[in-house]
Amino acid sequence: MSVPLSHVLIVASLMFAMGLGCVIAWRANVIMMLIGIEIMLNAVMLTFVGGSAHWGIADGQLFSLMLMALTSAEVSLALAMVVYLHRRKQTVNTDDFNSMKG
Amino acid sequence: MLPTYLTLMLLFPLLGGLTFAVAGRMLPRTLVEVLACATVWGSFVCAALAAAAYTGPQVVTLADWFATFDLAIPISLYLDPLSLAMTVMIGFVCGLIHIYSVFYMREDEDYARYFALLNLFVFAMLTLVLGETLPLLYLGWEGVGFCSYLLIGFWYSDPANADAGRKAFIATRIGDVALMIALAWLFQLFGTLSITKVNGMGFLMPVSVITMLGILFLIAAMGKSAQVPLMVWLPDAMAGPTPVSAMIHAATMVTAGVYLLARLLPLIGGSEIALAAIAITGGVTAFYGATCALAQRDLKRVLAYSTISQIGYMMLGVGAGAVTAATFHLLVHAFFKALLFLGAGCVIAAMHHEQDIYKMGGLRRSLPLTFWSFLVGAACLAGIPLTGGFFSKDSILLAVWLKGGVLYQTLYLLGLITALITAYYSFRLVFLVFAGENGHVHRSSGLTVMQVVLIPLAILGLFGGLLDLPAYLGGGYLSGFFASLPADDLPSASHEQEIGLQTVAGALALVGLLTAYLRYGKGRAERMREAQAQPSSLISFLAQGWYFDRLYDLVLIRPYHALARFLWQRVDEAVIDASVDGLGSGVGGAGRLFGRWSTGKVAVYLISFAAGAALILGYLAWLAL
Amino acid sequence: MEATLFYILAAVLLIGILLAITARQAVRSIVYLVTSFFALALMFYLLGAPLIAAFEVIIYAGAIMVLFLFVIMMLELESPEKLAKPNFKNWLPALLLAGAVVGALVVLLASRVQAVPPGFTEIPVRQFAFALFKQYGVAVEVVSMQLLFALVGALYLGRRR
Repeated sequence: MSVPLSHVLIVASLMFAMGLGCVIAWRANVIMMLIGIEIMLNAVMLTFVGGSAHWGIADGQLFSLMLMALTSAEVSLALAMVVYLHRRKQTVNTDDFNSMKG
Repeated sequence: MLPTYLTLMLLFPLLGGLTFAVAGRMLPRTLVEVLACATVWGSFVCAALAAAAYTGPQVVTLADWFATFDLAIPISLYLDPLSLAMTVMIGFVCGLIHIYSVFYMREDEDYARYFALLNLFVFAMLTLVLGETLPLLYLGWEGVGFCSYLLIGFWYSDPANADAGRKAFIATRIGDVALMIALAWLFQLFGTLSITKVNGMGFLMPVSVITMLGILFLIAAMGKSAQVPLMVWLPDAMAGPTPVSAMIHAATMVTAGVYLLARLLPLIGGSEIALAAIAITGGVTAFYGATCALAQRDLKRVLAYSTISQIGYMMLGVGAGAVTAATFHLLVHAFFKALLFLGAGCVIAAMHHEQDIYKMGGLRRSLPLTFWSFLVGAACLAGIPLTGGFFSKDSILLAVWLKGGVLYQTLYLLGLITALITAYYSFRLVFLVFAGENGHVHRSSGLTVMQVVLIPLAILGLFGGLLDLPAYLGGGYLSGFFASLPADDLPSASHEQEIGLQTVAGALALVGLLTAYLRYGKGRAERMREAQAQPSSLISFLAQGWYFDRLYDLVLIRPYHALARFLWQRVDEAVIDASVDGLGSGVGGAGRLFGRWSTGKVAVYLISFAAGAALILGYLAWLAL
Repeated sequence: MEATLFYILAAVLLIGILLAITARQAVRSIVYLVTSFFALALMFYLLGAPLIAAFEVIIYAGAIMVLFLFVIMMLELESPEKLAKPNFKNWLPALLLAGAVVGALVVLLASRVQAVPPGFTEIPVRQFAFALFKQYGVAVEVVSMQLLFALVGALYLGRRR
C-alpha cells in the first residue's frame, strides 16, 4: 500500500478536530460530549496504528489496544455517572452541573 | 558575720514583699501587718549589727550574676561609712513608717498590695545603697522607681493619681537613660563596673571625659532627686498615701541621686566643671523649691517643695566636695522630713483628709503631741539654732564658703537667702495649721499610735546635730567616721570663721521665724481674708512652681502630640496602612477576577483547555514556518 | 488499488463523523458513528493491523456504541424538549479552536515532509502477542485492574437508593 504517513496523520487530525468541536459545541448534552471524546480517542488510535505500520513496530497497535480497554472502562463509568446525574437533576445539560464552582 | 548580716538585711524585705505579692490576699490582715513591720525591723537590726561589727570598708561578694566574656558582674555588696550610715537610716525610718502605715491604712482594703510594694521598696533601696557594682545599683535604682510609680498611683481608680504616677515614672526615666548611658560608657572606658575600681581609675581619663560622665550622672540624679529641671514630678507624687510620701518621696528614694553622686565623687571630683554643675543645680533647686513652697496651699505640697529645696542643699554640698556634710544633712533631713510628713499625715487624718492649710487651725490644743513634734520638725527645717537641721545645713554652707571663688560665694549667698525663705515658710506652715482657733478634730483609733511614732523621729531630728558637732564644740562623730572616705579633704575652717558663719545663718533663721510670726501669727485673720481673694500674679507664679509644668507642656508635650498625630494620620494611616491595604485589595481583586473564571461549568473549562492546546500548537507551527 | 480504497474509506469516515456531530438526535449520531467506525476498522486493516481492526468492530462499534444507545434510550433523551441544540453561538468557538488546531497540525506535518518512500510493513499477530504479553505484561495487568475498578464504580453509581 502506498499511502504516505502524512495523509494518515491529516485524516487523524481532522477527525480529532471534529471531535474537539463536538465536545465544545454540544455543551447542552453530556452524551454528545462523550461521543466527541470517543471521536478524539479514535483519532489518536489511528495515529498510533499509522505510526506502527510505518515503522513496523508492534508498540503502536499495542497502545491502540490499551486505549480501547481504557476507553471501555471510561465510557462505562462516564455513562453510569450520566445516569446518576440525570436521576438527580433530570437534565443532561452540563451548564446545570456547577457545584464545583470555585 | 558581716556577709550574713548583709544577706539577711536584703532577704527580709525581699521575702516579705514577694510573700505579700503572691499570697497576701489569703493571709489575715493582722499577720500581713505584723510580718511587714517585722521584716523591715529585721533589716534594721541586721544593719545595726553590721554597724557594730564594722571595722573598715569591705566588699562582700555573695554570688556571681553575670560572667560572660569580659563583663563580670558579681552580686557584691560594699560596706563603707556612707552605705552603712544610709542602711541604718533606711532601716530605722522605714521601720517607723511601716508601723505608722499599719494605722494610717487601717481603712484601706488593699493592704496586701500596699505592704508588698513597701517591702519591695525597702529591698530595692537597700540594694541601691549596698550594691558594689553599678548594675546592681542600677537594679535598685529602677526598683525604687518602679515601686514609687506603683505607690504614687496606689489609689489608681482616680485618674489624677494614676497620671501623677506616670508623670513621676516618665520624668525619672529621663534621668535613668542618662545613667544607663553613663554605665555603658564607663564599661567601655574601664572594662569594669565595680564602683570601687571605677572610683580609683578616674585619673586615667582626660578631664573632659570625666566632665561628661559627671554631667550624665548629674542628669540621672536630677531625675531621681527631683532637681531643676526634672523636678516637676515630685509635687504631683504627693497623690500617693502620706506614709509613702514620707518614706519614698522625702526620706529615702529622692536622696538616691545625692547618694549616687556622693558615691562616685572620687571619680567625678576630678572635674571642676562637673562639680560646679552639680553645685549650681543644687543651689538653684534649693532656691526654686523654697520660693515655690512659699505660696502653696496644700499641706503636702509645701513639704514636697521643701524636700526639693533641701535635696538641693545636699547637691550643693556634694558639688562643694563635702560628702560628709551632704550625708549629714541627708540623714538629719530624712529624720525631720519623715517627721514632718508623718505629722502632716496625722493632721490630714484628723481633718477628714482636708489638705488645704488655710482651712486648718487651732490644732495645737487638740493634737498636742503632733504639734510639738511638728514644731521640732519645722525648727529643724528652718535651721533654728541648736537643732539637727541647723548644724547639718550649716556644715554644707560652710563647705561652700570654704570652697571659695566667685561661683561658690554666689551660691553661698543663694543658700543663705534660701535659708531665710525656708525659715519663713516653715513657720508659716506651723502658724497656719496649729495656731488660731477652730480646733475641731476627728479622732480615729490609730491616731494615738501614729502620734507616738513621731516621738523618736522628733528626738533624732532635734538632737541629730550631735552626730556631727562643729569642730569648736569638740568635733563630730560622723566626720571621724567618714574620715576614711577619700576625696573629703577639704580645708578646715578656723573656729572663729565657723562660729561667724553659723551666727549669720542662725540669725537669718530667727528673722524668718519672726517674720512668719508677724504675718501669720499676729496677722492671721488678715491672711485668711487674703486667701479668699484672687491670688496675685507673683503668688500664682510661685504656687504653680514657676509654671514649669506649662512650659514643659508648651515646649515638649504639645509638639510631641503634634508629631505623634502627624505620624499617625499622615504617615502611618495615609502611607503605610494605605499601601498595605492597597496591596491586599489588589491581590484580592485579582483573585476574585480569576475566581470568576472557575464557574464550575465543564464547557468553560473545556474551551479554556482547547484554547490552551490551540495556543501551544499555534506557537509550534509558527516556529516551524 | 489499496491506496484508492484508503482514501475512499477516509472520506466515508470523515463524512460520517461530520454527520454524527451535527445530527439532530443522539440516536442518529450513534448510527453515523458506527458507520464511521466500520470504515476506520477497514483502514486499520489496510494499515496492517487486522487484530486492532477486529477489536474496533467488536468493542467500539459493537459494545461501546450499543452502551451509548442503551443510555440514550433509558434516559428518554429522544424527546426534543430535553435536547437543546447547539446554535451558531455554540459552534463559533468550536469552529475557531478546531480550525486553529487543524491548521497548526497541517502546518507542522507539511514542514516535516517524509523523505522515506511510503511503505507499510505488516506486523504479524505473533509479534503483537509477544510484545503485549512479554514486554507490556504489567500494563495488561494494570488495565485489567482498571476495568475491575470501572465495573465496581459503575455498579456503585448505578444502584438505586
